[in-house]
Amino acid sequence: MIYVVYLIVYGFLLTAVVGLVASWIDRKVTARVQYRVGPPILQPLIDIVKLLGKETLVPKGASKTAFLLAPLVGLGGVILVSTLLWLNNINTSNTFIGDLIVAVYLLTIPSISIIMGGFASANPLASIGASREMKLVLGYELPFVLAVFVPVIHSGFSIRLGDIIAFQAVNGAIVGSWSGALALIVVIMCVQAKLALVPFDVPEAETELAGGALIEYSGSGLAVYKLMKNMLLFTLPFFVMILFMGGFRLKGIQLLYSVLRYVGLVALITVIRNTNPRVRIDQAVRFFWGPMTIIAIVAVILAFKGL
Amino acid sequence: MNLVPDLLGKALFKVDGMSVFIGIFIVFFSLLTIVYSLGFMKKRKGLGHYYLYIVLTIVASLGVVFANNLIILMIFWGFLGLLLYLLIDFGGKERTSYTAKKAFIIIGGTDAFMLLGLAFIWHLNGSLNIDKLSIAFNTRLAVLAYLCLAAGAFAKAGAMPFHTWVPDTAEDAPTPVTAFLPASLDKLLGIYFLARISLDVFQMDPAMNRVLLIVGSVTIIAAVMMALVQHDLKRLLGYHAVSQVGYMVLGIGTGVPIGIAGGIFHMLNHAIYKSCLFLSGGAVEKKTGTTDLSKLGGLAKFMPITFITFLIASFAISGVPPFNGFASKWMVYQGIIETAKAGGRLWIVWLVAAMFGSALTLASFMKLIHAVFLGQPAKNRKITEVGPAMWIPTVLLASLCVIFGVFALAIPLKMLILPSLNMNVVFTGFWGSGLATILLIVGIIIGFIIYLLGTATKTRQTEIFVGGETLKDNPDMRVSGTEFYNTVSDIGILKFIYKMAEKKLFDIYEVGKSITFGFNGILRYVHNGILPTYLAWCLLGMIILFYILFKHIW
Repeated sequence: MIYVVYLIVYGFLLTAVVGLVASWIDRKVTARVQYRVGPPILQPLIDIVKLLGKETLVPKGASKTAFLLAPLVGLGGVILVSTLLWLNNINTSNTFIGDLIVAVYLLTIPSISIIMGGFASANPLASIGASREMKLVLGYELPFVLAVFVPVIHSGFSIRLGDIIAFQAVNGAIVGSWSGALALIVVIMCVQAKLALVPFDVPEAETELAGGALIEYSGSGLAVYKLMKNMLLFTLPFFVMILFMGGFRLKGIQLLYSVLRYVGLVALITVIRNTNPRVRIDQAVRFFWGPMTIIAIVAVILAFKGL
Repeated sequence: MNLVPDLLGKALFKVDGMSVFIGIFIVFFSLLTIVYSLGFMKKRKGLGHYYLYIVLTIVASLGVVFANNLIILMIFWGFLGLLLYLLIDFGGKERTSYTAKKAFIIIGGTDAFMLLGLAFIWHLNGSLNIDKLSIAFNTRLAVLAYLCLAAGAFAKAGAMPFHTWVPDTAEDAPTPVTAFLPASLDKLLGIYFLARISLDVFQMDPAMNRVLLIVGSVTIIAAVMMALVQHDLKRLLGYHAVSQVGYMVLGIGTGVPIGIAGGIFHMLNHAIYKSCLFLSGGAVEKKTGTTDLSKLGGLAKFMPITFITFLIASFAISGVPPFNGFASKWMVYQGIIETAKAGGRLWIVWLVAAMFGSALTLASFMKLIHAVFLGQPAKNRKITEVGPAMWIPTVLLASLCVIFGVFALAIPLKMLILPSLNMNVVFTGFWGSGLATILLIVGIIIGFIIYLLGTATKTRQTEIFVGGETLKDNPDMRVSGTEFYNTVSDIGILKFIYKMAEKKLFDIYEVGKSITFGFNGILRYVHNGILPTYLAWCLLGMIILFYILFKHIW
């Protein structure tokens, strides 16, 4: 039962709150970059509440169950993975072998849910958007997996998140090494794609696909997807921090540093999304299978050399 | 324990943990296939022969599994090749006889290798009883013997480079046969034999393990890349039947207990979800009369049971937690990382191949689900769900996918797999799939509560939005899903490789055929059909013969 409490308190509530705030930071920074004022801090929450009040439309010819269930599975996946990350972060011995691999796999569930939702809406634009999402997953998964193994190599071949955090508490953050820094660059690019933000927002591509996979969603379904995406805006940088920056430390002055690091990561993601044009899907796949994979391989080789 | 003690002075059959475990599942899958065939094969010709062959296959498979003497095993193994040939022939398509011949030649050819391997073992040890053998790789002959036997196991299980009969069979054989042989029984037997020779008959060393790891990784990636671009439901599944073998071979190739247990577990899981996929696919075929992906679509509403079973099995094969495919893949990964601690740096290659392979698997199954069950229907169909004889097996298999995933440690591993291996598998901190499932469900309930707060309970149906157009008037706008990954297959070197694959340059059967026919082409000049030429050859031969015979007289 204690795990359910963890899930509700940390995995859902805390993650959602931080995610909503992060989404506000993202919107505020974007606004400032574009010389606008930007929304008030509660705006992301207000958006979701507003969506909950709107009518839920189901497109004709769609598989209704799959259409409405897909957002829930995505949300459940995000909640589960954030619970897993929090558990490791709070108590590094509270871990099981291979939870890193479990986390990597669970982090694809939101993408799967978006794809299933898009497919279930029986809309050609949604189909194309969802297929692009799938190709994007194919693209980033290869460098992502490679880069994620850099901390594993550093920490003596442990695939426990807890061990990786504990290792960094003693030996300093992995990002401090050459291989760690290279791997971090790759992982940030992959996070950008996992969040489907510019330059990798091909699955949604408002200007050509009018929202892509999410085109038919409205009301509650869209609200859950929005919440899921906002939570991912916390979960993914959190995962990166655990792997490369020694986790989210909660004691004393360390808490402030952790918050600063997190805000820094979010701001970096925001800046990338505001200073780049959208790429085509084949360019995105090429980018990840080409330069990013090569950088990740170099990082792995350097990590083997102990750098 | 010897079943037939000292018959002919030797123990020919043997019962141990692993053979009992495989035997149980052989019978299980056979029963499911028979039940399913009652629905699927209805009103076809030659059903007496069909069921006879199925029963004979069961007998021969059990013979392989319980054989202690390698010659006995080989005899049953040979029968299986023949029965496969006969069963494929029930497909009744234009290409079926060609496919059956191809399968028979590949399986038969590797059987010949196995026989050669047996001869080597006899030469090395003077015994062919599995329980008396334990050969180290200290001579070249031992290495050769292992490779010969492994070739047989690879061909049966469908690992590269002997895989090409599997996709063809999947496409052309009747669906229950595909689900029965290449998808479940042949996997069980092939991997059983590989495990037997790797664990009992030979003493594996790092170099030989590396061969297995290479075969496994290449099989995973290459086969799944081929699966991505297929247009036929059953053929696509056939390529996955090849790709998944890679995980089993990888598991056995790690040489550490948890990896081997993972490989065996994956074999079982694969048999479960792949037969579920084939049988669900067969239900679609039965109702729509086609397996061409561009002619399907939107079936989820008409065939909800088939859709759900197919979906569960797809997630299981793609390794989505908490289904069974994830549990066994996780163990294989665990085994690979275990080898890292012994030194060596190539482990990351195997691990990345395995993990990336499962992303590719997911991609091709998303395409399948879109093209068959979701998306826009190709035409207005009024179909219904298949009868109970056809959905009961799939529902049973899909629930096994869930049970073996959620209770991975408690049920399949502790009850079946660990007793079958004489090894000490350490499970400290096994991934808590039960707990994770509960937490996932709680997460979904939270989402559901959000739905209740909102308006999801009262929905309204609307026309789909396609930028103001209507889909009915613009059939060209339909996205079937077959072309999803064309952008991937057009990238750089991949395009080149796909072109070579299209020309069947990686098909050992086609390559072998062109070599054989190349020789034939030369010999054909001799047989030109003109009688005087033949007489001249006879005369020449006679002269040579006489010369040899009477050489010493002169």
